[in-house]
Parts: sequence; C-alpha cells; structure tokens
Amino acid sequence: MRIEVLRKGLFSLIIDKGRVGRQRDGFCQSGPMDNNAYDWANFLALNLDGTPCIEAIGEMQIRVDQDCIIAVTGREPSLDVDGVARATYQSQKVAAGATITFKSALLGSKAYLAVYGNWQVPKAVGSACTVVREQLGGLDGKGRVLKDGDCIEVLANTRMKDNVKMRTLAQQFIDDYGFLESIRVVPGYQFSSFSNVAIRTFETSTYTVSSSIDRMGFRFTGESVASDMVGMRSEAIHLGAIQVPGDGQPIVMMRDRQTLGGYPKLGCVSPCDISRLAQAVPGEKVNFVFQNEEEARADWLLTTSRRRRLQGEIV
Amino acid sequence: MQAFGCIKRIVTAGADAIIVYFDGANLDEANNACHRMLAAIDAKKGPITHNGVGKKPDGDTSTRWRWLRECVPSYDSLLIIFDMALIDSHGVYRALKGLGDDINTPRAGKEQRGNNALVEIPVWYGAPSASDLSLVSKKTSLSIEEIIKLHTSAIYKVYAVGFSPGFAYMGDIPEALKCARLGTPRKRVPKGAVAIADRQTAVYPSESPGGWNLLGLTAYDMLLHSDQHSESRLKAGDVVKFVSITEQEYKAGLQVER
Repeated sequence: MRIEVLRKGLFSLIIDKGRVGRQRDGFCQSGPMDNNAYDWANFLALNLDGTPCIEAIGEMQIRVDQDCIIAVTGREPSLDVDGVARATYQSQKVAAGATITFKSALLGSKAYLAVYGNWQVPKAVGSACTVVREQLGGLDGKGRVLKDGDCIEVLANTRMKDNVKMRTLAQQFIDDYGFLESIRVVPGYQFSSFSNVAIRTFETSTYTVSSSIDRMGFRFTGESVASDMVGMRSEAIHLGAIQVPGDGQPIVMMRDRQTLGGYPKLGCVSPCDISRLAQAVPGEKVNFVFQNEEEARADWLLTTSRRRRLQGEIV
Repeated sequence: MQAFGCIKRIVTAGADAIIVYFDGANLDEANNACHRMLAAIDAKKGPITHNGVGKKPDGDTSTRWRWLRECVPSYDSLLIIFDMALIDSHGVYRALKGLGDDINTPRAGKEQRGNNALVEIPVWYGAPSASDLSLVSKKTSLSIEEIIKLHTSAIYKVYAVGFSPGFAYMGDIPEALKCARLGTPRKRVPKGAVAIADRQTAVYPSESPGGWNLLGLTAYDMLLHSDQHSESRLKAGDVVKFVSITEQEYKAGLQVER
C-alpha cells in the first residue's frame, strides 16, 4: 500500500530508532525525539519495535490507498479520519482511500504516526532516520524532509484482515507532558568544575524554553550558570547532556546533537525524562533537579518494566 | 571511581554512561592510550554479523560485553555507553579494570603513524563568509598576516573525527594562536570553513552550527560520498598541513571538487 502525503505540516520526518555505533565516525545518534511516544505508536499499530514512523510538527494530512491499522501518539495529539475524530493512543482501523489528519496540540511539539506493515524506506548508514544536516535517511536516503505529494510504500501484512486484537493505552499510562514536575538530571562530566553557587542557581531557578529548539539541542534562558573551566578538549556528548557555553545559558543536547563538543557539561538529563523534555515548546518553564545515577537507574528500570508489563498485558 | 593505569580520571557522564580520561606525557600519548583501550573494548564486543557471517570476538562468548552499547573516542577521552538493564557503572568499571595491563603499555611500531601521507588543505584566508580574523587578531594580539603565517607553519595530527560526519579535530596549533571559543555558538557556519579553538583546528565538512573562530574557506571536501554510505576523508592519525591560496584559486578548486 501507499501512504501519500497531502499536507506535510511544518516539519515532518521519517524516523526510526536511529544510528548505533556510528558516533565514532561523526554520525549523530538520531532517532525519535520522544522515544516513548514513538515506541507506543509502533506497539499500538501492531508493529515491531524500531519500525519506521513519521514524526510531525504541525498538522499533517495523508491518504492511504488500502485498509490499514494506524496509531497516533505524542503530546496531546489529535487524529481525525475523513473528518471524524478518532482516539489517539489506540489502534485505529482505517479504510482504503481515507484521509488521515493528525497533530500535536502545542505548536512545536511532535506527533507520531505509525502504520502497520513493512516500511519500504532505504537505510543510510544503518538507519532510515532523516538527518537533514547530515543529508542522511528519509525517502531518498539523502536527508530530505517529507513534502506534499511524497509517497511511502508500506507492504501490508497479510495477517491483518484476520481478527487482530486492537490495542489501547489507558490514559493513566500516557506520559505526563506538563512541566510541573522537575526534569531530573544526573550530575556528570565537568560537574565538579561548577561552583556551589552555580549548582545551586541551576537547581533553584526556573528556566524558559527558548525559540532555539531543534533536533540537535534545546536552549534555555534564565539565571547564568557559568563554569570555572577555561578551554577544554572536545569530548563525546551523550544524549541529554547539559552543555553550558560561555554565556551561562544551558543547552540540553538532543538526538541529532553533534557527537563531540568542547563546552563544559553539568551532567545529563535522566533517561526517564528526556522524551518528556523533547516535547517542550518555546516559552514553557522548566525546573531541573539533581538525582544520583543509582536513583536514575532505579527509576529507569521501574519505568521499563512497567512498559514491558503493559505491552504484555494489552496484547 | 579510582583511576588506574593510563587513566587519569573516570567520571559518570549520565545514568547509562561513563567517560574515561587518559594520561600521557603529551596529548599524542594520551590519544594513543585512548585508542588502545578502544581496541581492547571492541575485541570484547559481540560479533558484528552481516548475513550470519561474523567476526569472532576474542576468547569465549561468555566474556562478551553484551551490555556495551557504544563507545565514542575523542582526543584524550572515551565515552562508554552501557545498557542499564544489564549492568551498572560499577560493573562497567570492574570490566575495564579486568582488561589487563596490555592497554597500559604502548605497542612498538603500531602507533608509528608517521607513514601516513601529508595531506595539504588549501585555504582562502579571510573569505568574507567565514572570517573572524579581526576577532582572532584582537584575542591573540597578532596581525592577520601573522595569524595566517602561524596557522600554515605547523603540521597537524588528526586526533579525532566527530562533531559531525568528517569533522577532523587537528592539533596542536602554535601556542600564540590559542584562542577561546565564541561565547555564543553561531547558528550557521558555512561548509568548508577553516576554524580554530583553543589549540585545535578543523574544517567544517558541511553547513552546521559551531562555536569556533573562523579563519577562511577551503574547497577540499571532507566527506567521500557514495549512494548508501559516506565516510570521512581524513582519519585519526593522518597528518595535515594548511596552505594559503587566493580567492581565484579557491574558486577554481571548487570547480575541481565538484
């Protein structure tokens, strides 16, 4: 079957799990900004983990030419099929020829559309994930974002028409995307080169999401947290690393971040909170709180096992 | 975490990663120590299979590091990312300690990288779209002529490839040219921009954000492209020299590279 892009929205990409093991050559990790929403989308669309899917900013409209199963997830997403509202975070059967419109409520956050089947998209450097800056991935393998008129081939799974069980994720299990709860940060890297005053400032101030947010990193504005370091050698930047350049304004490094960099880092956003943070939009206020690596690991193990249990139960 | 052997410092990077910093009489030695450990770790990784045909790892399979996600080396540091479901940072530390002593002793011959050919990169210094020459002049109290003379005077080693595909970190630039990064990174640096920061120099392989001080432009393409793959033209260990050219020569060079 074919997915035809009728309206591309503001910025829509074909993504998958991203590139593993290629950072040492300078290729960024890439992958879904909101990994949780991406995983749920594929699960709800009955796909295997890691199947390509569309990450969309703004309202996107597509048409499918065969009966299929889809799922939409993200931060307060909405979905309508031929003008009729349908539930998100749920498997949805869609008839051949249907027009599907979906978006995330807040402009700048991301919605994920998964479609059941085998996506026929090329792999570039081991992944279909689109990285515009590196001219990699996507429909042409060269990093082009989706545009109106694009067609994505998806080989429908023949088992589909049998009585496949539709899936729903209960409301209480959907990620809480508000920022009433602080973003957890594991101290690391050059943490010890920041003064106690700077650390306290970082933890007690409220930071505003600036308009410079993209797949590489999110810049925040607020109280300055300059480090005492003067000149350091560039080193590997991990997902969620909080980099502080000379102006003292923190930058959280995201999926398409450069692999190496030479600004001092406070540590990394906890793996449990990075998907949530990636859905923040300009103007939102965020607080950060430090937690040690053992707590972060325990939280992550709990979250992961809850997800596994849910995925086992709903099947 | 207590340092040992060639390691200067080991610290947490995030919940699922640690970063190891290496020691050495100079940067070159620390860089070599980093690559020795990387090679030892790579040997512990599971087999990389392509259609079932894989490279056999050292020793028996029970000693394979299944928890290893990815290693990212740089100048004198190595980021090690692990699977939190299988191990914690203390376990990773113990595994590194168990690698043995051979990672601490330089291997004769293997690290003689002098046989690499000298790569010459032609630069149009002061190209208007990529010039912080006056800023660098202010920061270093050198004249523009002196900056160009110093930058082209040394032969540089490629210490690491990263930041973006094909971005080769080279060093060391002469002490007098040492120059702090920009306070606020630029949102857009043009492809081919030749830049310096601290004691490092590099060429931006494609348009990207960046915080380095720009000296000029080169037509030398840092990436080799093919349909499915692209790879860095410079590799860690290569030796490089910059040569000053005119605007006309740069433009002629662009035609050739295309």
